[in-house]
Amino acid sequence: MQEVIQGNTALINTLAKLCREDGVRHDTDMSGNAQHWFELRSPSLITAAAAALKDTAARLSLISGYSRASQPDAEEAPYAACYHFVLDSVIYNVTVTLTRKEPAVPTITPWFANADWHEREMIELVGITVSNQPNPDRLFLDASLDPGVLNKLVPLSVMMNGACTKDLWEHILTRREGK
Amino acid sequence: MAIEQKAGSTFNIPLGPVHVALEEPVYFDLQVEGEIIRGTTLHSGHVHRGMENLAQHRNLIMNQTLTERVCSLCSNSHAFTYAMVVENALGIKVPERAHYLRTLTEEIKRVASHLFTLAIQAHLCGFESLFMHTMEIREIMQDVKESLYGNRMNLAFNCIGGTKFDLDQECFDFLEQSLEKFMPQFREVLDIFETDPLICARIQGTGILPKEEAIRLGVVGPVARGSGLNIDVRKETPYAAYGKVDFDIVTRDGCDLYARTCVRLHEVLESVKIIKQVIRDIPEGETRVHMTHIFPSQAVARSEAPRGEVIYYIRTNSTEIPERLKWRVPSYMNWEALGVMLRNAKVADAALITNTIDPCVSCTER
Repeated sequence: MQEVIQGNTALINTLAKLCREDGVRHDTDMSGNAQHWFELRSPSLITAAAAALKDTAARLSLISGYSRASQPDAEEAPYAACYHFVLDSVIYNVTVTLTRKEPAVPTITPWFANADWHEREMIELVGITVSNQPNPDRLFLDASLDPGVLNKLVPLSVMMNGACTKDLWEHILTRREGK
Repeated sequence: MAIEQKAGSTFNIPLGPVHVALEEPVYFDLQVEGEIIRGTTLHSGHVHRGMENLAQHRNLIMNQTLTERVCSLCSNSHAFTYAMVVENALGIKVPERAHYLRTLTEEIKRVASHLFTLAIQAHLCGFESLFMHTMEIREIMQDVKESLYGNRMNLAFNCIGGTKFDLDQECFDFLEQSLEKFMPQFREVLDIFETDPLICARIQGTGILPKEEAIRLGVVGPVARGSGLNIDVRKETPYAAYGKVDFDIVTRDGCDLYARTCVRLHEVLESVKIIKQVIRDIPEGETRVHMTHIFPSQAVARSEAPRGEVIYYIRTNSTEIPERLKWRVPSYMNWEALGVMLRNAKVADAALITNTIDPCVSCTER
């Protein structure tokens, strides 16, 4: 935790208003550099967060889309995406959780042009839906492959060790159960 | 090279994915009017390896080996940043000596990486003797890597909690001797790159990336600093021993190939400055602590690789397998800048301009 909250106070307050209860954490890394974590109430609020961050001249560094398959509420909320911004040596991490009710996150390319590749990769490799993405062409994989194809991968090492470990069989069972 | 005529005097020229003028397997669709490039479309995906997914099937220690193989030139930056993100997530405090050793290793790799890019640039300019001379100097740093770490590219030096082994005084003496041999030769090459009429004629005013475009596209590393952006993770959020050594961020306002070349050249000097300080100031002590327990957490870690900012994100649960490991490499942010740099450039300069972002498809596609 940060002893004194570091960063842009106005921005932190704006982002905090978009968050769910207990959705804000002020942290430092092991080198003492400040990081803030925000969990938005709804994926649609990412546009308001992006606009606020753009106003302060923050830079988009990364978007990490991920499956929440191992979480207890994964059925209701299967995916999430964490947006990482940098402003004046402080990292602002903004997370949105995609639910069955709100299964898409809007694009932030109107504010951050460099979100284009991140969003396309998230669509292509994780299977997250990004609404109004202006350039939804494939980034890496051939169009004949399904979205989120890497979620279905059985690594070669698991295949090769199928005879002596239970990993492959557990993988097959998981699939049969439709997880 | 197949040439397709579209309409009137506009042609589309495919460049890559396997092409004599490109060192990386990427495909550019150049829209050309006469000998001038009017537009560029980039197609990637030729060497996608699905490494992030593989990382979610391996335990935290196995991923140390995997992430070092994301790239070859900046392999150490990946292994280093990966170790840092795990340490941030699990609250592991790295010994001070390991911080200095990690800093030293990063800078040795940066010198070798920058010299490689500069050598390729000389080659693309048709200055073969400069190409060979630069590669010859780089070989001094390759020898350093092989002597200190046992490997020329993948050093396998970082581990979660510190470094896998220590470097003794004999290693530091050899490094100092190598730098004494390196510096006079490097200054000679630096002078040629900065003042030779052949090189200057080819790279000054070529591949322009205006500052406002650099900001809009979020470019990083020497590409950003060559367009006047004063960004460097080593200064912004100091990690390892970077907060304890004196060095400058090198920037240039030229926004062209020449500016980016000067940034890389002078960054080599800054790296040597850092290496000498580390040798002088490194404290005694342990080089590693062990990871004792794993718990649900999430963290990010950033570092300044030779090509620019690398960022890692991790989500751990109670198992030894990470729930999510995601990383973004510097080239990923810099590719789109080629669309700006190549616009209105000559077809003959396409390969040279592409090289100026120090592109890495291996990194980008993971």
